Amino acid sequence: MKYVVCYKLVPNESSIGVGGDKSLDFGGCEWEIGQYDLRAVETAAKLTEASPENVLIALTVGDAVVENSKLKKSILARGPQELLAVKSEKLANADSLATAQILAEAIKKIGDVDAVFFGEGSGDLYSQQVGNMTGALLGWNTVNAASRVEADGDGLLVERNLEDCTEVLKISLPAAVSVTSDSCVPRLASMKEILKAGKKPSTIEPLEDYQADGDRKVSQLSLKVLDKTARKCQVVSDDEEGLAAAVAWLRKL
Amino acid sequence: MIDFSLTEEQELLVEQVEEFMKRGNYDDYFKECDRERKYPEKACRDFCEEGFHLLDCPEEYGGSDLDLVSSVLMKLKFYEYGWPALTLPGGALEIDNILTYGTKEQQELIINEVLEGRKAYTMGFTEPQAGSDNSAMSTKAEHRDGKVYITGHKTFNTYATVSRYMMCVAREYEVLDKPKKDMSWYLIPLRDEEGNLTPGVSIHVLDKIGCHCMPTCEVYLDNVEVEESALVGVKGKGFYQLLKNFETERLLTCVSNVGYAMAAYHDAAVYASQRIQFGKTIGSFQIIQQKLVDMKIKCDNMYNMLLRTAWKKSVGQSIMLDASMLKRYTGQAAFEVLDDAIQVLGGIGYTNDTRIARLWRDQRGARIYAGTEEIMVHSVARALINNEAGTQ
Repeated sequence: MKYVVCYKLVPNESSIGVGGDKSLDFGGCEWEIGQYDLRAVETAAKLTEASPENVLIALTVGDAVVENSKLKKSILARGPQELLAVKSEKLANADSLATAQILAEAIKKIGDVDAVFFGEGSGDLYSQQVGNMTGALLGWNTVNAASRVEADGDGLLVERNLEDCTEVLKISLPAAVSVTSDSCVPRLASMKEILKAGKKPSTIEPLEDYQADGDRKVSQLSLKVLDKTARKCQVVSDDEEGLAAAVAWLRKL
Repeated sequence: MIDFSLTEEQELLVEQVEEFMKRGNYDDYFKECDRERKYPEKACRDFCEEGFHLLDCPEEYGGSDLDLVSSVLMKLKFYEYGWPALTLPGGALEIDNILTYGTKEQQELIINEVLEGRKAYTMGFTEPQAGSDNSAMSTKAEHRDGKVYITGHKTFNTYATVSRYMMCVAREYEVLDKPKKDMSWYLIPLRDEEGNLTPGVSIHVLDKIGCHCMPTCEVYLDNVEVEESALVGVKGKGFYQLLKNFETERLLTCVSNVGYAMAAYHDAAVYASQRIQFGKTIGSFQIIQQKLVDMKIKCDNMYNMLLRTAWKKSVGQSIMLDASMLKRYTGQAAFEVLDDAIQVLGGIGYTNDTRIARLWRDQRGARIYAGTEEIMVHSVARALINNEAGTQ
């Protein structure tokens, strides 16, 4: 099987600066692999490790940050054998559809891909769209909110936790699957894999090599930090009376 | 240009340790182990499951051939997160000694213990009358009927309750007036696979003021029989082998000094930013600021000195003087930082609710074990003076 796992490099939350007008400043930011995407990497890596013939390719799009050599090693130390990144300065602020169009095209270029995996949403904007959009653009079976994924013959068994039941889907390949944040615990990269990661192949392709334009399809009017809400400092005792008071208080909100 | 930055690989390795410690959330567990004087079994099991016990293993034995600087950086991070002293599974010192002096069979034996996540052996050189003065050692190796019989009283044996072996240093009594040319190392089994003590071995746990998660013991050896093949290294060269062991041991002991100091500095700085007295944070008072600045300077000095010494050893340079100076400096400086951290935290710092109290007790031992700070002066002063005199 040939698997692809998509990931997004996102700013580390604690390193984002906030301007006086509550705008976000990514200037001095540290970057990391989206925490949700690490679940997709783990899911795909486990499926890949089932057979030495399986291949896992990591795929991302973005601006110059995709060339960050430490971040490339970081993803390659967690299972993928190789990496492909599509780069353009305009992709620093790409929206979901623009991203999905490039990913779908890249997956077609890679060729013969059996399944592509995504986290449930990106670690920054968390719109939860890219996995589904990419699957739709490819015309593949597409599932999101997968809490468990297993190989099943020449297809996949996917579990989804619904409100009052667990749905088990058997889907044929090729498929696009987005996994939930509780689907697995991502591995720590082992010492051996970290030391080997720099030797694995990684390719950076310019967006100009693609038909997709990378232009935003949605205009962003503003992106600002929420006002800090002052703590209410309501203390609730842990007896029945306290619980009733807490419920009454919550109902008033 | 001197490059002080870590490599990308080193940054990633350290980040994995950080992630492991955050996920494990071991603070309360370590506190419980310290209070109940128990080995942090659960944390050590997790540690081995992630393969961290292979840190110092050569590649042919399943390790990663990690360089010493990277290994020190990773261990430093475990200690920065308060890992209890003397309990990190694995064994850089044990491996270093056995790879340097052991036979192929001995190497496999010891490394297999490390692979199982166990402390492979306790070093047996200190005796009640032979602390800093190793040459006063009296444990005797007698050679009879093709076997060796060891008799003596060893003390301050860390790991003796959990290790299968003791690396016992004994006198041959062949060169009576020159003890330094009369010592040999023997790898003595302390217990069998079921944990039964070897005939002639008895072990008593010492009641320490800190390092509660790893017992330190007295070990009595009464005619303990081993094969001649238990000799490690060269007969009669044991003292000189010890000198090499001391270099590595001193370097590795200092990792916890530096890690604990960094942890204490962190806790003190955070506390100073939150604790309100006289209507403002105590961190806004210059007397606290000065303490924190001096603590940070000491942490940075210790960190740089530690990594420089590890780097020298990893490129094959002698650390005979460096390791002793590192031991003296980090022992004292770390204690000052930990002590100041308690002072910044005030009354709460003197309770076991904070981790600083445990780290303060644990680190105090490291000013004595693996060579006292006073003996470090003895180890280096003459060589330093001679070195400078030689440049005239």
